[in-house]
Amino acid sequence: MPSIPVTYNLRNIRVRWRTTIATVLGVALVVSVFVMVMALARGLKSTYVQTGDPRNLLVMRRGSTAESSSQIMREEMIRMKYLPGIARDAQDRPYFSPEIIVLIYLNRLDAQGGANVIVRGMGEMGLAVRPNIVLSEGRMFQSGRRECVVSRRVANRFANCLIGQSFRAGKAEWTVVGIFEAGKSAYESEIWADADEVRDAFNRNFYGSALIRPVDDAASAALVRRIESDRTLSARVLKETDYYKDQTKTAGPIQFMGGFLATIMSIGAAFSAMNTMYAAVGARTREIGTLRVLGFKRRSIYLSFLLESVLLAGLGGVIGCLMSLPLNGVATGTFSWTSFSEVAFEFRITPDLLGKGMMFALVMGVLGGLLPARMAARKPVLVALKT
Amino acid sequence: MTIAGFILRNALRNKRRLTLTILSVSLSLFLFTTLQTALRELTQPPSTSDSALRLITRHRVSLANVLPEKYQYRIQQVPGVEVVSKFTWFGGIYQDEKNFFPQFAVEPEKIFRIFTEAKVDPLELDAFIKERTACIVGIKTMERFGWKIGDRITLRGTIWDCNPELVIRGVYREGIDETNLFFHHDYFNELMNDLGVTGTFWLRVRDEAAVQPVIDAIDASFRNSDAETKTETERAFQLGFVSMFGNIKMLIGSISTVIVFTMVLVTASTMSMAIRERMRELAVLKAIGFNGRQVFSLILAESFGLAMAGGLLGCVGAWALFSNIDVYKATQGFFIKFDVTPHILASGLLLAGLLGAISCIAPAWASIRMSVVTGLKETD
Amino acid sequence: MTPIVQIRELTRVYQQGEIDVTALDNISLDIPDGDFVALMGPSGSGKSTLLHIMAGIDRPTRGSCVVRGVDVAKLSETELAEWRNHHIGFVFQTFNLIPVLTAFENVEMPLLLTGLTASERRAHVEAALELVGLKDRMHHQPRQLSGGQEQRVAIARALVTDPTLIVADEPTGNLDAKSATEVLNLLVALNRDAGKTIIMVTHDPKAAAHARRVLHLEKGELLKDEETPR
Repeated sequence: MPSIPVTYNLRNIRVRWRTTIATVLGVALVVSVFVMVMALARGLKSTYVQTGDPRNLLVMRRGSTAESSSQIMREEMIRMKYLPGIARDAQDRPYFSPEIIVLIYLNRLDAQGGANVIVRGMGEMGLAVRPNIVLSEGRMFQSGRRECVVSRRVANRFANCLIGQSFRAGKAEWTVVGIFEAGKSAYESEIWADADEVRDAFNRNFYGSALIRPVDDAASAALVRRIESDRTLSARVLKETDYYKDQTKTAGPIQFMGGFLATIMSIGAAFSAMNTMYAAVGARTREIGTLRVLGFKRRSIYLSFLLESVLLAGLGGVIGCLMSLPLNGVATGTFSWTSFSEVAFEFRITPDLLGKGMMFALVMGVLGGLLPARMAARKPVLVALKT
Repeated sequence: MTIAGFILRNALRNKRRLTLTILSVSLSLFLFTTLQTALRELTQPPSTSDSALRLITRHRVSLANVLPEKYQYRIQQVPGVEVVSKFTWFGGIYQDEKNFFPQFAVEPEKIFRIFTEAKVDPLELDAFIKERTACIVGIKTMERFGWKIGDRITLRGTIWDCNPELVIRGVYREGIDETNLFFHHDYFNELMNDLGVTGTFWLRVRDEAAVQPVIDAIDASFRNSDAETKTETERAFQLGFVSMFGNIKMLIGSISTVIVFTMVLVTASTMSMAIRERMRELAVLKAIGFNGRQVFSLILAESFGLAMAGGLLGCVGAWALFSNIDVYKATQGFFIKFDVTPHILASGLLLAGLLGAISCIAPAWASIRMSVVTGLKETD
Repeated sequence: MTPIVQIRELTRVYQQGEIDVTALDNISLDIPDGDFVALMGPSGSGKSTLLHIMAGIDRPTRGSCVVRGVDVAKLSETELAEWRNHHIGFVFQTFNLIPVLTAFENVEMPLLLTGLTASERRAHVEAALELVGLKDRMHHQPRQLSGGQEQRVAIARALVTDPTLIVADEPTGNLDAKSATEVLNLLVALNRDAGKTIIMVTHDPKAAAHARRVLHLEKGELLKDEETPR
C-alpha cells in the first residue's frame, strides 16, 4: 500500500503554523506541568529512599510510627548498647547511637515566616554509624558542649545557621561549629547536636530512638529477635532504610495532584488538537480528493492525518520536556506530617519521567487525531474535488 | 431575528468546534476552580467571630514540647480569660494507620464553652461530661466509620504510651472541624500515670479588646521559666501551620497561571479559525452597512459567549461536583472541607469573561482593519 | 435635474509591491437618477474599482465621487458604513448570502441597523421577497435554494432598505443562462417599474444589453459611452 510521505505532513504543519502553534504549545504546557509536578514527587521520594544505611537498625518504642514520638529510657539504652552482635570500632566502642529528636522553629533566610526544623541529638558514635555523611566545613560538635553541626541545606535556607553563628532553642544558645553534607537524603534537613545536651535543654528525661550497626546480617537478625522479645524493653526494631522508605508516602498527595492535573489538562489539550485537525481536514478537502484520484487509498489518508496529529503532539511534548528541564536539581522544601518538620529536597527529572511525559503527548495526539482522520478518509472523491 | 439571534446562529455554525472548544475551556476552568479551592482550604483557615476570641497557649519552642498542667491556675487568673481547657493532641491510631483523624484530650465541661459554634445535644453533652471514659465525636468521623452513640472504640497511642478505651456518648456538628474526637483529659492523665502535662491550653477571652492584653499577660507570666509559652489567636496558630507548607502555594499559583495561559491559547486559536473562515461574510456585513465597531461587537459577543459557556460549565460543574461528593472521604481525610466559595466562583467566571475578550482581540482587529474589497476576494 | 452620481477627475492608484498600478485614470462621469448603467471592459480595466468607489467600499486617490450631493471620499469609515446602509444595495457575483440564515433573515440583515420595529421589518422583507418572487421560499436556507434563487434573495436584500443605488458586480457570472435571464429581467423591471438606479459590472455583452447605457473601460480610461437601443 503506498503511503503518503511524512514530508507532506511536516510541510503542512509548517505552512499552517498559526493554527498549529496553539495546539503545540497547549500540549507542551500540559507535558511540562506533568513532568514538573511528578519531578517534585520523585525528588521527595528519592530523598527518603536515599536516607539510611541498609546495615543499620533503628529501635523505637513499640507503637510509635515516627522517631519523634518514640520514647526510650536511659536504662533501656544502656542495656541495649552492650548487647552482643553490635559492631565495634578500633577503640572497641559499639556502633550504637542513642538519639532524640526535637523540633525547633527557625526563620527562613529568603522569605518571611519559618519552618520547623529537626534537631537530632546523637551519641558519640552518631557520625560513625552514618558513614555516608561527610563533614565538609568546620568540625564535629563536642560532647558536653552546646554546639551543633547543620546540614548544608539548612545552612543555606535558614537564618543564623552559618559556622560561628548561634541561635536559641530550648533553654540554650547553640553555636554552629560545622556543616555536613548528607547527599540528597532526609538528613539534609537536620541539625545535629549532642543527645544529652539536647535532652537537658529541652527537659527530656528520655531518649527517642537508637541507631545500631550490627556485625553482620546474622547478628542483625539475632539482635532484632533479642530486642523485640524483651518484654521490659517494649521496643520495635526495623531497618533504618525501611523506616525512611515508609515515609515516601509523604509524596502521595503531590503525586495524586500531578496525575489528576495531567489527566484533566490532557483531555482539554486533546480537544484542542481535535479542533486543529478538523480545521486541517476542512482546509485540505480538495487536496484529499486529489490524493485519492492519484491512487492513494483511504487507509493512507487516514494514517497520514493521524500521523500529522501525532507529530503535532510529539512536537509539543518535546517542547514541554525542554521547558521543564531547567527545574531539574532545583532545591525546594515541603512540610512532612510524619516528622512534623520541613523536608528539603530537589526536583528530580529522570529520563523515564520525560518518557512518560512524551507518552502523555502522543496519547493526546492519537486521541485528537482519530476522529478527524476518519472524517478525512471517508470523504467521497468527487465531493472532495468539487468543493 | 435580532442581532443576538444572529450571534447565536454564528456561534452554532460549527457545532463540533463549538463543543470541543467549550469543553476544553470548561476543563481548564474546572481545574482552575479546583486548584483555587484547594489553595484556599490549605491556606485560609476558617475565621468566625467566635474564633477571634479563641487563644492557644503552647510551648515557646514548638508544638512537640509539652506544658506543665499546673500552668492552668495562673492562666485562669489572668483578667479577661473566661475559660481555659487543657488540650492535648493524642495522635492515636484507630485500627489502622490509614484511619487518621484528630483526637484531643480536653476538659469535657469546658470544651464547648470554648468552641461555642459547635452544636451538641445538651443531653449528649451531659452524658459525655459525666462518664470518665466517654468521648464526643464530630459528625464527619462518625459517618466515616459508621459509628453510633454507645459504640466502644480503642485508640492505640503513638506519641503517648497508652491505649484509651472510649465509649461514644455524643456527636457534635457544624461550626468547627467536624472530624475531631474529644475525650477526658483526666482519663488521659490517669492512663499516663499522672504525668501532669498538657500539649496546649485553649482559652476563650471575654471580648476582642481583651485578646492582646491576655496574650501579653500569659506569656509574661511564664517568661524565664522552664517552659516559656507562646500564646496566639486561633487564626495565627493555624496560619503557622500553613506557612510550613512553604512552596505549595507558589506551586499551585504557577500551575493556575499555566492553565490560564493554555486556555487563552486554545480559545484564541479557535476564535481565529472561526473568524478567518468567515472573512468574506464579515466583508459582506460591512458592505451592507455594518461599521467596524459593530462587526467587532459581533465577534466579541460570540467569543465572550463561548468562553462564558465554558466558564459556567467548568466553574459551576466544579461547584456542583464538590458540593455533592464527600471530599473528606475521597481524599482520605487530606481535605476536610472543599468549599467552592462565591468568591472563587466569581473569579473563575471573571477569568472566563476576560479570556473571551482577550482571545478574540487579535483576529477581530485583523478583520476590522481589512478592507471590504480585500475581504470580498477571500475564498472560503 | 442634478445627476445622482457625479464623478470628477477620479484617479485610483494601487500599490502592488514596488510598482504603482493605475486602476482608474482621471475619469469624469455623470449618472442621472433612474439610470441603468453597465460597466464593461476586460479584466484589469478598472470597472470593478469604479463600482467599488461608487459603492463606498473603496476610496479614490484623487478626484471626487459625489452621490446625491455627498462626496463619498470625505466620509470616515464609520460614516461610510452608515451611508452604505442607507444608500447602497449590493449584489455580488457569488451571492454572498449568510449560510446559517434563512432567506428571510438574510434580507432582514441590513434592516437590523435601522430603527425599525420587528413588524415593520417583517413587512419590508416580505415586500422585497414578493418583488423578487420568492416569498414562498422565505424560510429556506441558502443551500436549499438554486443559484438563481439565491441571487434573487441577494437582490431582495439589496432592495430592502430602498437604497439610492443598486450596485451589482457580475450578478450573472455564476449562473446558468436561464437563471441569468431571470435575474437580468428582474433588474430591468426594478429599473423600469420601481425607478431604481442600477450600476452593474459585467463582461457579458448579452447582460450589458439589458442596461439603458453601457460604459466601456480599458486600462483605467473611459473609452465609450453608448445608449442601448430599446
